[in-house]
Amino acid sequence: MAGRANPWTTGLFAALILLFTGGPVLLSLLGSLIPDRVLLDQGKSLFAEGLNFDGYRYVFTGELPQAYQAENANRAMISDAARQVPASLVNSGIIALSAMVLNILLGAPAAFLFARYLFPGKKLSFLFLILSPLVPAVALVTPIYIMLQSMGLLGTRTGIILVHTARALPFTVLILSVFFRKMPAELFEAATLDHCSRFQAFWRIALPLALPSIGATGLFAFMLSYSEYMFAMVLSGDAGARPVSVVMAALARNTDVSWSLLNTAIFIAIVPTLVLVVLVWRFVVEGLLSGSVKG
Amino acid sequence: MWEIRRYPALWLLPALLPVALMTLYPVAYALWTSLHSVMLLFPGEPFVGLDNYLRVIQSNYFQDALTNSLVFTAAAAPLVVVLGTLIALFLRRRFFGVQVVRSIVLLPWVLPGAISAVLWIWVFHPSFGVLNGLLRDLHLIEGSIGWLTSPRLAFVSVVVAHVWTQIPFTVVLVMAALAAINPETLEAAAIDCKSSWRRFWYVIFPEIKAMIVVLIVYNALTAFTSYDLVYAMTGGGPGTATTLLSFQIWRESFSMYDFGAGSAVAFIVVLISAVLILAITRALPSDLFGSE
Repeated sequence: MAGRANPWTTGLFAALILLFTGGPVLLSLLGSLIPDRVLLDQGKSLFAEGLNFDGYRYVFTGELPQAYQAENANRAMISDAARQVPASLVNSGIIALSAMVLNILLGAPAAFLFARYLFPGKKLSFLFLILSPLVPAVALVTPIYIMLQSMGLLGTRTGIILVHTARALPFTVLILSVFFRKMPAELFEAATLDHCSRFQAFWRIALPLALPSIGATGLFAFMLSYSEYMFAMVLSGDAGARPVSVVMAALARNTDVSWSLLNTAIFIAIVPTLVLVVLVWRFVVEGLLSGSVKG
Repeated sequence: MWEIRRYPALWLLPALLPVALMTLYPVAYALWTSLHSVMLLFPGEPFVGLDNYLRVIQSNYFQDALTNSLVFTAAAAPLVVVLGTLIALFLRRRFFGVQVVRSIVLLPWVLPGAISAVLWIWVFHPSFGVLNGLLRDLHLIEGSIGWLTSPRLAFVSVVVAHVWTQIPFTVVLVMAALAAINPETLEAAAIDCKSSWRRFWYVIFPEIKAMIVVLIVYNALTAFTSYDLVYAMTGGGPGTATTLLSFQIWRESFSMYDFGAGSAVAFIVVLISAVLILAITRALPSDLFGSE
């Protein structure tokens, strides 16, 4: 597409996008490095006392930040929840990756069928899939809690994985079938002439071509699971299986907690996910832009 | 399109069963609850018919919450899709640093709702917020603007924060849809259409229309059923200025222990969402939902 646009407008747009999407997160990084008494003092410049890494030291080693030992400050400002962040990241990683893999494994064949075939019951199945996410999560929490309790899955990662997979699947199927439908029919006609079975057409032709799109869809399932809060909170129980969204919410709801410590926790929670997401995204973008999905 | 004579269970059930497991029984349960008086504080669960629904619809907050939710959806969903599409189109260009911009755009995505709320409270906070600080430094204002304390501004603030959280997903999918366009179509268009607007409208847009419709539906649903971000930012206030319908379900069920009324609000939300989806897909016909 047009690559000859005015470099000034390009720069301006890029700066605006960066400011809007990245700005609040940059603020959080800054906040994690500056003690509260500077943050909350309107008169003081932000850099009056320089930057310090006390918050980070506390999360990883448990050593109290100097500021709170010296000023006989409110003990409630230090929350144990901040120290659960690293473990909860591991939980979130396991849960979200499983939900992502399951979504692709279970969703891709169905999406392929919806995109390419006519069969009895197609309309009804599709309608069921697109209507199911209509029910708000809040309304489902109690019955699903009871159900998982009877299956003995409360407080386990398996239970949360099951719920997250099911919540993302309708979107996975819908989005993937848009991509499968976009593929040129001639490809598949050739396959039928060669007496390829349906599975071969799917496995040998559709899947490899759709790889970047599958990456994008998988990313979506991953993020849906990673940031989901309501089910994760109710189903995870005590500390053991708690994912990062629950721990961070506990920290954020605590109105006494130190701003700088809160920002530290936010930043620690962001970094590993961001690295992972950017890596997958790079793969997706490169696949997409290098035209591996030739129309 | 090829025909299959029997229902291809082996291909479909792996996707349909988990969804059915997590919807059918829970929905039946919620439907039952909405027709009974289920309160934690009173034992027994007598059948009350549509009483819960009537009580919800006649209550004072309902109209406010419904209007807020509809306005919120009407403002947020189109904004997300339009901004997301513009950003996606822009990010297909090649320029110095485009890789960095493409990655930074994903940032809002990696943050759970409660955290996004904290970040935006910090931006909008009346006394120590960054926005007011900036405006003061530029000498545009004297005191402080109550971004989260004046009803109108609070509404605008939560819409901005919500749009921020939803942008990355839309950008990712529009970019993916753009990339699936046949390059030859684009080359031909580049020769035929001189204006880039016409090129977008007549060549590119028809190709990504199905995806745009999916995204509008998805974003309308997300906006209509969103609660955690707004709740964490304003608690529904000031007054009822930012009280949304789905927040109301949560409040009825979990803070007032009136599960019957909570389920009744939930079904009202389902009904309105279904109407919304139907209206959107009717207004924007696309072969996606058609029988074909």
